[in-house]
Amino acid sequence: MIAVDNVQLSFDGRNDVLSDVSLKVADGEFVSLVGPSGCGKTTLLNLCAGLVPHTGKGDLRVAEGKPREGNPNVAYMLARDSLFPWKTALENAAFGVRVRGASESEARERARAMLAEVGLGAFENALPKSLSHGMRQRTALARTFAMDAPVLLMDEPFGALDAQTKLQLEDLLLRLCQQHKHTVLFVTHDLGEAVAVSDRVVVMSSRPGRIVADVPIDLPRPRSIRELQKDSHFHELYAQLWSHLESGWTRHEG
Amino acid sequence: MRAKQIQWAGLHLVFLLCVFGLGELASRQGWINPTFFGRPSGVALFLWEHLQTAKLWNDLMWTMLGVLASFTLGSVAAFAVGLAFVQWPRLEQFAEPYLNAINVMPRIALAPLFILWFGLGLGSKIAVGFSLTFFIVLSSTVAGIRSVSQDHKTLCRTLGSGAVTTFFQVTLPGAVPVIFSGLRLGLTYALFGVIGAEIIASEKGLGQTLAYLSSIFDINGVMALLLILALLGVGIVKAMTVIEKRLLHWQ
Repeated sequence: MIAVDNVQLSFDGRNDVLSDVSLKVADGEFVSLVGPSGCGKTTLLNLCAGLVPHTGKGDLRVAEGKPREGNPNVAYMLARDSLFPWKTALENAAFGVRVRGASESEARERARAMLAEVGLGAFENALPKSLSHGMRQRTALARTFAMDAPVLLMDEPFGALDAQTKLQLEDLLLRLCQQHKHTVLFVTHDLGEAVAVSDRVVVMSSRPGRIVADVPIDLPRPRSIRELQKDSHFHELYAQLWSHLESGWTRHEG
Repeated sequence: MRAKQIQWAGLHLVFLLCVFGLGELASRQGWINPTFFGRPSGVALFLWEHLQTAKLWNDLMWTMLGVLASFTLGSVAAFAVGLAFVQWPRLEQFAEPYLNAINVMPRIALAPLFILWFGLGLGSKIAVGFSLTFFIVLSSTVAGIRSVSQDHKTLCRTLGSGAVTTFFQVTLPGAVPVIFSGLRLGLTYALFGVIGAEIIASEKGLGQTLAYLSSIFDINGVMALLLILALLGVGIVKAMTVIEKRLLHWQ
């Protein structure tokens, strides 16, 4: 579903941001990208979304085609909720579906169903100013999942949340992915989050971003974030990722 | 809440009664010269007599017509030019030195020229009001559109939202708070420009009557008109606040 083949990218023609990055995400697979700040995780995600033009070497395929803005097979979720403050939760959740051609009533119906799924059924008429950070991010999740695109690209969607809300939303994301079977490329700087939600975690090195490890997460599904905290294998995987991340730094410093 | 409002209104009433009472006393005792400062009872009498004649209402209507026309034309033109500047930044870059040169000029100094070009009627007043409103709304339109959240723009790009949808659903609502602050200021300046033009030379309007009353030393009349202008200004600001609250209830 997502195929990144020997991709190289440089913004100024001299210094590489990404160097020989190869990555495959199969249908229905959940893959997280982790790495130090500035390693090119978000750039790689933006390349897949068509937000950054691919001018360097290599090849990229997303949902059987070249990456392009507005691909109906791809839904993108930003780090911040990016809700429109002048629209209600329902209007925000329906926005993506509506822009992509659904009728007003169909968009509202799908958005209403998704809001109910993320636990905001009673808040569809609320404006973002009256929602908590967690509720706003739930609305953004509803907007993303309402589009029902087979590929989801998520850029640190829970990065700005407090620890407790983050755990709740990770649980919600696990549940939604379990139900909707999307292919997900998920950028995060939180190793625990990456282990908890993913089928595979790809570790990138400092700039120029290279892939230093591709770790399968063999934790059984369905998962519970709460239960995982007590699972020794979860902590082993976490430690394994941490050492890969450290080797990425060492290589860069060396 | 209601009791607090009544309390405040009472306090203002007492304050105004004290000010007017003190003015009346000072004038009657000869502490201030009523020929130059007027007298509160004289102002009240002027208002009582003239509010019953068509002349004052006629003047008010002509002034308001000038204000509304200059504000509407100035705002619409500024909005259109602002959009063009955002769409084609090189156009803005080219026009900037010329616009800056006109903007720093005291616009009221252009009034004699406008009177020559457009005559003593509505045209010259609208021209002065327009020249003041235009620049204020132009800068707020450009700033408003440029202040639209980058995240919102990125979201629209990922969704493949068309230019028209993005403009009406995202750019315009996102820019409204900044544009509106420009409109509020623009309306006040439109009043300022129209009154200024009327004072310099005009056939009708509150400013023209003000200049006439001043020339015949009818200071009670001058004070009465200044009071009307102050109330007009407050009314304009209040009306804009009500519209703003309705438009920006989501803030």
